[in-house]
Amino acid sequence: MLGLSALLAACGSSSKSGSSSVSSSTSSASGTPKKGGNLVFARSVAPTTLDPANTIIAGDIYTLNQIFEPLFITNPDGTLAPWLAKSFTTSTDHLTWTFALRPGVKFSDGKPLTADDVVFSIKREAANTVGPLSFLDFAIKSVTAKGSSTVVMKLKTPWAPFESDMSVFANAILPANFGGKSEKAFFQSPVGTGAFTLSSWTPDSNLTLKPNPGYWQPGKPYVDSVAINYVTDDNQRVLQVTSGQAQIADSIPPANVASLKSNGAVNVSEFPAWQVDLLVFNEQVAYFKDVHVRRAITYAINRPGLVQAASFGSSKPGGSFFPPSLEYYDAGTPVLAYSVANAKAELAKSAYPHGFSTKLLVSGGDQTYSEFAQIIQSDLAKIGIKVSITTLDHAAFESTFQKYDYDMFIDYAINDISDPDEMASFETDYKSGGSKSYWSSYDNPAVISLVHEAEAEFDTTKRKALYAKIQAQVAQDAPFVALDYPPYIYATSKKVNGFAVNPGGAYRLADVWLD
Amino acid sequence: MAGLTLGLRLPAGRPRRPRRATGGGWSYTARRLLGAVLVLIGVTVATFLLLHAAPGNPAEQVLGQRATPAQLHALEHQWGLDSSLASQFWRYLKQVVHGDLGTSFVYGKHVTALVGPRIGQTALLVAVAVMFAILITIPLAALAASRRDSIADQAVRGFSVLGLGLPSFWFGIVLIEIFAVNLKLLPVGGYGSGFGAHLESLILPGVTAALAIVPLLIRSLRVGMLEVLDADFVAAARGNGLRESRVLLVHVARNAAVPTVTLLGLNIAYLLGSTVIVENVFALNGVGSLLLQSIQNRDFPTVQGITLLLAAAVVVVNLCTDLLAARLDPRIRLR
Repeated sequence: MLGLSALLAACGSSSKSGSSSVSSSTSSASGTPKKGGNLVFARSVAPTTLDPANTIIAGDIYTLNQIFEPLFITNPDGTLAPWLAKSFTTSTDHLTWTFALRPGVKFSDGKPLTADDVVFSIKREAANTVGPLSFLDFAIKSVTAKGSSTVVMKLKTPWAPFESDMSVFANAILPANFGGKSEKAFFQSPVGTGAFTLSSWTPDSNLTLKPNPGYWQPGKPYVDSVAINYVTDDNQRVLQVTSGQAQIADSIPPANVASLKSNGAVNVSEFPAWQVDLLVFNEQVAYFKDVHVRRAITYAINRPGLVQAASFGSSKPGGSFFPPSLEYYDAGTPVLAYSVANAKAELAKSAYPHGFSTKLLVSGGDQTYSEFAQIIQSDLAKIGIKVSITTLDHAAFESTFQKYDYDMFIDYAINDISDPDEMASFETDYKSGGSKSYWSSYDNPAVISLVHEAEAEFDTTKRKALYAKIQAQVAQDAPFVALDYPPYIYATSKKVNGFAVNPGGAYRLADVWLD
Repeated sequence: MAGLTLGLRLPAGRPRRPRRATGGGWSYTARRLLGAVLVLIGVTVATFLLLHAAPGNPAEQVLGQRATPAQLHALEHQWGLDSSLASQFWRYLKQVVHGDLGTSFVYGKHVTALVGPRIGQTALLVAVAVMFAILITIPLAALAASRRDSIADQAVRGFSVLGLGLPSFWFGIVLIEIFAVNLKLLPVGGYGSGFGAHLESLILPGVTAALAIVPLLIRSLRVGMLEVLDADFVAAARGNGLRESRVLLVHVARNAAVPTVTLLGLNIAYLLGSTVIVENVFALNGVGSLLLQSIQNRDFPTVQGITLLLAAAVVVVNLCTDLLAARLDPRIRLR
């Protein structure tokens, strides 16, 4: 997290020097990279579109990341790195941000990257009424080019997460006016500054990438081609890697980790994620309006036991609603740790001292969550709360809780960028966060004002203190229980080097090489 | 198909010809075609209503959790989901009649363009499965029938009972474990590139899909053969000194085949349905896996389009089965 703090501290007024060196994101690389080889990647979600501004689907994002690049990227350790922007400065009122573009960057059609391309791309996303992540650009007042290699962005309000907002895939840089093509035609054969270009693609099926010969990082990418194969079945993905048919497989079920680790041909990697599994309470329901009920349930759930039983120890037991991988996570957050005695005492203080019957909504098809639900059911029975479990298919599940038609539900909350504001406001800002505090209807004005204060705070020490306060207050109010922090689990062939995933789930295959 | 004759009115003055139920007769074919059209209309209505009645919003699926109500409405409007159900259905019906299955919500492509490249893969899978079903059924049924109540017969019958009870994905995983992981003879999954690789990669999925219907076929053919084995012409064939294998495979099997062919035809519909699971287990990106994905995404046009195509395929196969059965057994034509 040092890098981001340093950047934020440095961006007060002066341009950062020496920031043009690209930090290596190859944490697992060893030896000298070799050229050549075809990489086969078995992935659980297929790409549906390659338009960065119009998707939120993992299969799209992790593919288009190889083709397009934003001004900043997130390193595997969660810090930001300048990418197509070489450096930036901000005015003292934090309302004017000036970005200097990296020299020598070319699109895959050979045309150089210019400020006009950046202006076009950011304006397009900021004005995108159906962009799933266009809210991240809400602070932008204007974007203009100053010469061919400088971009000036004016903001409506001082906005601390802005650099991080610029790193989201949705703000990736496309050629101005799609290089003269129609939007539709452009995304059929996209042109970006990334290490790869599209070679072939059957929608909802397999996709192949080939190297961008003019890529700005000399020598990269190392592999001759990348085949991204769509493999929904968990077992099939695992077997494709163990049999050598694929070299990388994503979304490995925690239950398979132990057996894969004993396989001599395969590495299993668990990358920390900006993700937290939540048990959410509906405060529109009388039982859960009562803070003592929420606190009692939080005490009653044995999170270390739950993690051991359902995730086979691959995830970490939950505490703060911020995951440990997120900037400003506070390990000292006073959480309501597992204690049946405390749970009973807390319930006795509530309006329902003898317990009650309630329902727990979960999404079907997720083994881990259905096991979580059963463990929670038995934990809560110990304090007199009788839980019945309702399972719905994912689309129905989402519609149901988003209509507040539930008592409790289990879901995962994620952050798309390195700045924690996204998670803080989405989960606790009842008024303007966008989801009435993750559909819990939790509304604590003190927390909301702290969230807004942190959004405009550029001093990292002060900001850290604000987020510590927010985490502490939320832990006491218990609007949801942070059950665990699951990692991204990948299986890779031992031949694969340089593969690393950032906490947002993204990876850049430019660094991958095969033995 | 009761009531399906309603729509067929022959010109009043024309004398009714005696019905020739060879499948080539005008009245027979027309009735069957009319029935087929009615089935397809029924499938269209049912799919449309079920999809719209099911909870889950396609716009939520595409835009994700951070979507604002305004964004959701904008997308629903773009897709026409904000108009009344009746007008949506009417619009859809008009499209379908013009051969347009609509545009996928998720992929932004025409459903026909999305499904087209996958039909070959699924059709080939079904063909390979049918081939394996026949190759497994005939010898096993002949073995069981010729040695009635022997250990071999008991084993074949036991296998049938077992096969009916076990889910096909389980067979699939076991086959992958044996032939792909341990023996490394065949790919674990996927479709490969080139026709040879396609065929090779369809062996395990084909056997898996076939195993789901083989038990029924074996039982049907075995009973049929047992009946025929007692017939006079079999005794005559044996009396003429024909080898037992020839008696069984040519004389007995052919005469016992009619109910089994009918059953196979009906089960091709079942096979088409099971491709959804088999394609998933073997990472084949055919029509079945697209259907499953589209249901999860609430991609209405794609689900409707694929359901209609699969229904049409089932109707056509059933029609062909009836005609083929009529050809194998002349008595059917007179029924």
